[in-house]
Amino acid sequence: MKKLIKLFVNKKEYEIAVAPNRTLTQVLREDLDLIGTKEGCGLGDCGACTVILDGRPVNSCLILAVQANGSQITTIEGVADGKTLHPVQQAFVEHGAIQCGFCTPGMVLSAKSLLDNNPKPSEYEIREALSGNLCRCTGYQKIVEAVRSVSETMKR
Amino acid sequence: MLLLPKFDYVEPKDMAEACGIMAEEGILSKVIAGGTDILVNMKKGTISPQRLVSVAKLPGLCEMESVNGGISIGSHLIVAKLAEFDIIKKEFPMLAGAARVLGSPLIRNRATIGGNIVTARPAADLPPPLMALGAKVSLESKQGTRDVLLDNFFVGPGQTVMRSDEILSRIIVDKMPPFTGGGYIKLGHRNALEIAIVAVASRITLDKPDGIIKDARVILSAVAPKAIHAVSAENVLIGQKPTPELFEAASKLAGNDCSPISDIRGGAEYRCAMVEVLTKRTLAVALKEAQTK
Repeated sequence: MKKLIKLFVNKKEYEIAVAPNRTLTQVLREDLDLIGTKEGCGLGDCGACTVILDGRPVNSCLILAVQANGSQITTIEGVADGKTLHPVQQAFVEHGAIQCGFCTPGMVLSAKSLLDNNPKPSEYEIREALSGNLCRCTGYQKIVEAVRSVSETMKR
Repeated sequence: MLLLPKFDYVEPKDMAEACGIMAEEGILSKVIAGGTDILVNMKKGTISPQRLVSVAKLPGLCEMESVNGGISIGSHLIVAKLAEFDIIKKEFPMLAGAARVLGSPLIRNRATIGGNIVTARPAADLPPPLMALGAKVSLESKQGTRDVLLDNFFVGPGQTVMRSDEILSRIIVDKMPPFTGGGYIKLGHRNALEIAIVAVASRITLDKPDGIIKDARVILSAVAPKAIHAVSAENVLIGQKPTPELFEAASKLAGNDCSPISDIRGGAEYRCAMVEVLTKRTLAVALKEAQTK
């Protein structure tokens, strides 16, 4: 039986009826058309499905949409300010931290979440924060450099 | 895309309601906490419960309380928070340390301490330090609450003494005696999203900073169907003055106390050798902490 849930996605409220066996990834992509969130492994290993849920980055493929009822969610679509890229997104572009791009939404959200809580992370902290996000193209070096460049320029 | 089979989902508002549901339909139902293990198994098709019972809304289960210097942790507390509380970092650093190496940051933001216990995986990260600290778990059902020492909780891979109508509500760790220290080391091929090849948690209590060992626990993980005590290592440590020679002897005994299997992550012989190395290292960490506390 479908359940009526409320999600606050990128500061917009949605009320939707969902079957309990649908994951948050599925509902974001299929019901809300927010296809920036990717599904890779579907098992919590790759991090392509990362979203920020109530302030913490999580694997949306391992969360039932009904479990997220009432939560605040940020997807990659909610990161930029209109047409202005978020500093993390801008840094990914400038540092060549994007190749095929499939891991990028998850990487950006994990990095944004780290910098929101810890504006000046060490390289170890950056690598640890991104350790649940797999990238098969870049070898991670340029991603780490991009995140570090943001931490150096962010003034809070 | 991996799809989940069909199931019903209920979200009881309090423990009495949850226990009522488990008493009536416990065999067909499964409790879901963070979901990082059960949803993987359901996607792979290894289990297909007819109903998932969420414990997310039960009052108090997401909180940790400090009780007489010890702690009582709600089973629905996420693993990330376990490593953030000052009292855990200060009084039970090996538990905070184990919480920091479980899964990945994304998993730690969903996985719960209760889930890491009830799934009873032989290489789970939180049971070894909790066993070394002498933790108990509270199991609630319609018939009442019973406390079980974690030492007596696990039966084998995926198997525990829990009945199908019971819900794990709290994890209780008493205040440690003075001059107690602990160490947890997990050996893996990489630092994140790793299942331990071998992990060891050791805890020692001294009678005074430069005194003899009053109590010793050495827990070996991923080398038996469940986390086990290295009994002969513990016995040789108790009553002795801590010296490198004693730790060396205890480590050798710990290597004989386990019966690992060979699998894709490591051979049995390698695992035994690593039990020795990690026992020695965790004892050294534990001693350093014990002498300063």
